[in-house]
Amino acid sequence: MLQSDLNPKTPPAVDVLRVPFIGAFLKHQHARTLLQIPLFVISAAMILHGLFGPQLAPRNLATTLTWVQFRGALVFVLLFAGNFFCLACPFMLLRNLARKFVRPVRNWPRRLRNKWLSIGLFVSMLFVYEWFDLWASPWWTAWLIVTYFAGAVLVDSIFKHATFCKFICPVGQFNFVASTASPLEVAVRDSQVCTHCTTKDCIRGVREPAAPLVVIQRGCELALFQPRKVGNVDCTFCLDCVQACPHDNIGILGRLPAAELMNDPMRSGIGYFSKRKDLAALMLVFTFGALLNAFGMVTPVYALENWLANLFGVKSEFPILAFIFGLFLVFEPLLLIGVAAWVTRIWGGSKRPLGSLALRYAYSLVPIGFGIWLAHFGFHFLTGFYTFIPVTQATFADLGWAILGEPRWSLPGLAPNVVQVIEFGFITLGLVGSVLVSYGIAMSEKLERPLRVFIPCATLSLIVAAAAFWLMSQPMQMRGVVLGSG
Amino acid sequence: MHGCRHEERPSLDLTLAYEVSPQPPRTGPVTITLTMTDALGKQVSGAAIKLEANMSHAGMVPVFADAKEISPGRYQSNVELSMAGDWYVMVHATLPDGRKWERQFDIKGVAPAGQ
Repeated sequence: MLQSDLNPKTPPAVDVLRVPFIGAFLKHQHARTLLQIPLFVISAAMILHGLFGPQLAPRNLATTLTWVQFRGALVFVLLFAGNFFCLACPFMLLRNLARKFVRPVRNWPRRLRNKWLSIGLFVSMLFVYEWFDLWASPWWTAWLIVTYFAGAVLVDSIFKHATFCKFICPVGQFNFVASTASPLEVAVRDSQVCTHCTTKDCIRGVREPAAPLVVIQRGCELALFQPRKVGNVDCTFCLDCVQACPHDNIGILGRLPAAELMNDPMRSGIGYFSKRKDLAALMLVFTFGALLNAFGMVTPVYALENWLANLFGVKSEFPILAFIFGLFLVFEPLLLIGVAAWVTRIWGGSKRPLGSLALRYAYSLVPIGFGIWLAHFGFHFLTGFYTFIPVTQATFADLGWAILGEPRWSLPGLAPNVVQVIEFGFITLGLVGSVLVSYGIAMSEKLERPLRVFIPCATLSLIVAAAAFWLMSQPMQMRGVVLGSG
Repeated sequence: MHGCRHEERPSLDLTLAYEVSPQPPRTGPVTITLTMTDALGKQVSGAAIKLEANMSHAGMVPVFADAKEISPGRYQSNVELSMAGDWYVMVHATLPDGRKWERQFDIKGVAPAGQ
């Protein structure tokens, strides 16, 4: 299926680039830079405060902005709009600056052109978050941000195109997966215009007429050719394609969230979902990582860690965490997906190989996974909504420049019991999304009894949702681990 | 039941001792008793003390409480620890001569009520 099949010739109902003021701003040549500069300044302040400011997490900009405001705003923007955080990514500001001095000449190694490395980094980030209690450490949080900046600049100074975004950045991978459930995508307005296009500037970039090797406007650095681009995977919303298109034929269009997960067309820069084991693994890590990350914040995790420590006779947290990660990010997903695929084979009559079915099912879990991330990050965001205000006030006061007044530490966010209702709402929304995607996948199998494909697939989502409801109803407990403490 | 007595040795000329009850600490109201002594071991009376309890996680709204002097140099406050986990208590004291003095101590591993 081509993009033209998904985008009918009727004009899209929503095109953000045609919204007055917003559209004009986003189409401006320097819009991305203008969005990146404030985030870069804030990032620099977070790094400095994390390294040199108070080391109590609720009083530090690095921890407060990273683990409360940034994560929450990120998932809400993904839910209500699209991958606009990648658009405004401050790491890319520094990377673009570096590229004015260093021109990369190497291509990313072919064997690494997949998601396996970024999956490893994503899991590592989740692991380090628990191991070093990053949520409680301004110092380590600041170094995490520094590492991101350094990684982006270093990798993209050596390798051409958007190597860091496409193959490395864990936050980027999170955004790519979550944005499959977003209501907006960067897409072609009228596919007929593309059929007559001879320059393909959206992918090649705009070249200097007198010197065709000189690119004066980048095309897509993530190898997404607009006429054959489907959905949001790997799209950073950088809008280079919008700038490059000579026909003004690319917009930020409205669409049905998560519908792209139901079908399996050939996607530019991606291929077929059903043939991408790495992408399916990313979807699973995204979903079960949501459960695991939330599990780290509730009381039962400490009982489990102590029980495992006693069972294995260890005092170090590392092997215990490694065991829990292996259990919840490898064993549990493979078991659940494997059983669901096996039931589909013997009961549903599917002729697909077991592995192929399992790959398709992995994509159905994205909405429920996103719902769990929304519930978790939304909790911190909504209960701690105003916390950046007193922290900012205190930062200025500590610098001897109390222009923002006395810190108002008691500014309340939403009450936790109110937010819990919202959390359940997000999980329910995710479950409904996953069940609908499961139905879409079952229908696309074109079998006599698609319900027998749908039921195992939907049951998978129900099990994940049940675990999420249980998790969110547990008492929260935020502390470092002291093994053997009972 | 009262917990064991902890000692905090400040860099200035005051010492703060604190007790938290119940022990082990649980979510809900806890009683914090503070004793301030000067370098000669004499208890410091007449200070105005405010407590601020924070969780280790960013984004949690701190809990504030005033401490009453229950006997010369001994101050007591009830603080509502709303969530299980690690808490940090900041003691903001205004001494009788108007000087400000601050100290911080931890209440680690606050368990959920009923456990």
